[in-house]
Amino acid sequence: MERTRNFCIIAHIDHGKSTLADRLLERTGTITQRDLVQNQVLDDMALEQERGITIKLHAIQMKYQHTDKNEYTLNLIDTPGHVDFSYEVSRSLNACEGAILVVDATQGIEAQTISNLYLAIEAGLEIIPVINKVDLPSAEVEKVSQGIVELLGCKPEEIIPASAKSGVGIDEVLAAVIERVPPPVGDAEAPLQALMFDSVFDPYRGAVVYMRVVQGTVREGETIRFFSNGKEFEVEELGILKLRKQRTGSLSAGDVGYMIAGVKTVADTNVGDTVTHAKKPADAPLPGYKEVKPMVFSGLYPTVSEEFEELRDALSKLRLNDSSLVYVPESSIALGFGFRAGFLGLLHMEIVQERLEREFGMSIINTVPNVEYIVEIASTGERVVVDNPSDLPDPGKIDHVEEPYIVAQIITPAEYMGNIMKLCMERRGVYLNTTYIDPTRADVQFELPLSEIIFDFYDKLKSVSRGYASFDYEFKEYRQSDLVKLDILLNGEPVDALSSIVHRSKAYDWGRRLCRKLRELIPRQMFEVVIQAAIGTKVISRDVVKALRKNVTAKCYGGDISRKRKLLEKQKEGKKRMKQVGAVEVPQEAFLAVLSMDE
Amino acid sequence: MAGLYVHIPFCEKKCIYCDFYSIESVHDYDAFLASLTTEIEMRARLLPVGRSFHSIFFGGGTPSLLSPAQLGGILETLHARFRFDPLVEITVECNPGTIDVDKLRGYRAAGVNRLSFGVQSFHADDLEFLSRIHTAEEAETAIRTAHGAGIKNVNLDLMFSLPGQTPERWMANLERARALGTTHLSCYSLTIEQGTPLARMVARGMVGIPPEESDAALFELTMQTLSDWGFRQYEVSNYALPGFESRHNLTYWRHEDYLGFGPSAHSTIHGRRWWNVSSLQTYLERIRGGQLPESGGEFLSADTLRSEHIFLRLRSEGISLPDFTRLYGSDLHADNRDFIDRCIADGMLVIDSERLKLTRKGLLVCDEICAELK
Repeated sequence: MERTRNFCIIAHIDHGKSTLADRLLERTGTITQRDLVQNQVLDDMALEQERGITIKLHAIQMKYQHTDKNEYTLNLIDTPGHVDFSYEVSRSLNACEGAILVVDATQGIEAQTISNLYLAIEAGLEIIPVINKVDLPSAEVEKVSQGIVELLGCKPEEIIPASAKSGVGIDEVLAAVIERVPPPVGDAEAPLQALMFDSVFDPYRGAVVYMRVVQGTVREGETIRFFSNGKEFEVEELGILKLRKQRTGSLSAGDVGYMIAGVKTVADTNVGDTVTHAKKPADAPLPGYKEVKPMVFSGLYPTVSEEFEELRDALSKLRLNDSSLVYVPESSIALGFGFRAGFLGLLHMEIVQERLEREFGMSIINTVPNVEYIVEIASTGERVVVDNPSDLPDPGKIDHVEEPYIVAQIITPAEYMGNIMKLCMERRGVYLNTTYIDPTRADVQFELPLSEIIFDFYDKLKSVSRGYASFDYEFKEYRQSDLVKLDILLNGEPVDALSSIVHRSKAYDWGRRLCRKLRELIPRQMFEVVIQAAIGTKVISRDVVKALRKNVTAKCYGGDISRKRKLLEKQKEGKKRMKQVGAVEVPQEAFLAVLSMDE
Repeated sequence: MAGLYVHIPFCEKKCIYCDFYSIESVHDYDAFLASLTTEIEMRARLLPVGRSFHSIFFGGGTPSLLSPAQLGGILETLHARFRFDPLVEITVECNPGTIDVDKLRGYRAAGVNRLSFGVQSFHADDLEFLSRIHTAEEAETAIRTAHGAGIKNVNLDLMFSLPGQTPERWMANLERARALGTTHLSCYSLTIEQGTPLARMVARGMVGIPPEESDAALFELTMQTLSDWGFRQYEVSNYALPGFESRHNLTYWRHEDYLGFGPSAHSTIHGRRWWNVSSLQTYLERIRGGQLPESGGEFLSADTLRSEHIFLRLRSEGISLPDFTRLYGSDLHADNRDFIDRCIADGMLVIDSERLKLTRKGLLVCDEICAELK
């Protein structure tokens, strides 16, 4: 245990976390150049590679001979890098004793880095600051180090200048991990306490649990228990994680490794849970476990109604390795049978939608995402949770509606402060305070309704700050708001799947923009389509998609028939991708029109 | 019953909008005619005897570039190899700039009883834009020449929705055609076909295509006017005085078999469709090598036939619902009850003596309706 170091890397997207990880693996001989063909080794889901985000965390063990001639075992635990996954980040941080803080020399510290850094400091981790990309012409090493010094209260010489791309500073980083990060403490003879920081699904073996043993020892053949749900399983295989799994038969205090225990679904394996022995359990779980709560809800419907069962099947398979996805069946008058799904955030929602389409070949309609509201019923004082706008009770029955608020932390160059203030005010934000990280960079805090940031807040923030501002948030509380249900009617029929809950002050503008966007998205068809936005029975906006005037092939002779038939088949295929709502054909993207509304 | 088509792949000059196969160079018609004869003979040996044809159509290209002797030669070969109805309709597509009374008399002597003139417009500037080789005067005199040669059954092709075409200018064309005593009119909305010079001109913004609204208005004007004058619209773009419907064109829209000869010609016989190579060079080489000049083909499944039946019949005489059920074993109306009833209520479809037909309003969006029908 004296020669084991457990650490992670904290960095903003694109600041070079994956590249640095690759260099460490290379330098310690854990992988070869050839293994790197897929560029960054730790992100192995195709989607992750495309989006450049580590969605699921993993761990890998390295061996490194230090200048003291001793060989050290270094466990690198990877962390996801997006606001949607901050709880997962906190769990993987808790599996470590140290963290490398990577800051891009050309960008400086970003909001997300700071919030993750705070989590790391809270978890008592030793922080090793690294300035990456120091060899770039636009690098501002001096300024960035000053920011780090102010943030960490460290000495400037403790900051390691590096370039993961060209390999500069890698040995120094490894040396610092060994010298500065304390070895794990724990008693191999104590009752078992292992922190589960991730699990992935293997179609042949079931859930593969990634864990850090904090106390005690676990061996194959023993029966273990999960603290959160009390479920017990017999351990089939234990081992450590190299590039591939390496079976060791047991794991002891301080070790990071994997466990296979015949767990059929990852839904049983909750990130942050504590694994203990069934026979001689620990008295208490490790602190910090929370049930992950979805923040954003949306309807998921098959474009073709008959594919409901296929969608159910696909979702249950997705859930096998994404336990943060929750869903229950629901039905919509417009869309038929589908599911209401809860997601950690908008990114998570997009990932689920993409995986359903790519991995399961499903054609999906995703309805407008919304947050979860609490509605207090006037007559009874009963508090009802509403996660689907069409479930909002009749306004006459409502005493009041509450919506979730978050605290947003925005790090921005001072010159964009004005723009950001304006943006947050438009989003019903309440200003809290500003602190300066360095003379040119501010850390601004706002309270905002969650519903105001789930759509396009992040994009807007980037555009008003020329891409420089960064953002993180955490849930604060539920607050009473003046909210109304805005309905959309097509040819006079309300389309429940297009309803949304909006603040009364914004309802008119919202309705007008939504109608206009729908007019663009709904193609002209044989019959005129009237689009209306209404609050209750009051129509507040109206737009019309005019009927198609002429569509007929002029010439159709012997040589045209096959071609004409194929064109018609193509046209029919296109129609299949649209949803028939009453007599109106509505394209999939119209259900997410809100996400692409213009100002 | 079946129709027979012969493709003559030569033009003096290609028109900017046309995507039919033809070549402009000076040619050895004799080599082509020899190969055509061979193709007809090869095909005749493969097809079951006893089938009778009700029409022959010479299309192109510009069939009227052929001399009466050349055309007569083809007809002789056909008559020697196939059986024809006593009243067989024999049509030749003519460019008004390529004919005189002697040539048409010769055609008539060879058996031709119907002519189809590619007039397109009686306005000189339209003809210039379309790069037609004939003049407005030649367009005028063509039909008189046909009458003079003793051929009364004459079609004129006219085009609407030309750039800058006003309803008045289009009406002038229709009136001219009527005054000349035509028995049949094909009125096509200008279509931008991929790969044509016109398509490139449009893409470069050199030509402005009239918007859908004015195209629709001209189409409506055409339907109304010609109906007022006693022409029956028996297909989207085709109008005839009673009894002058083209038997050959009905072959396609009634989903009957047809046999085609020459480069790019299509055929459909007994549920198999095939098409010849769209290259004179390859065509000649194949035939010289003793091979059929087919470049592709398909077997038409019941589903395919069903879907073709719907769009071909709907754009012409309508779908006989009892016949449809008998042919495909499914009830079209029952399978599309909501949609069909809505179209009927909206005045786009009618059911007349168990025949599902498009109204004028429905014809405007014929392709949309076909795409909706399951």
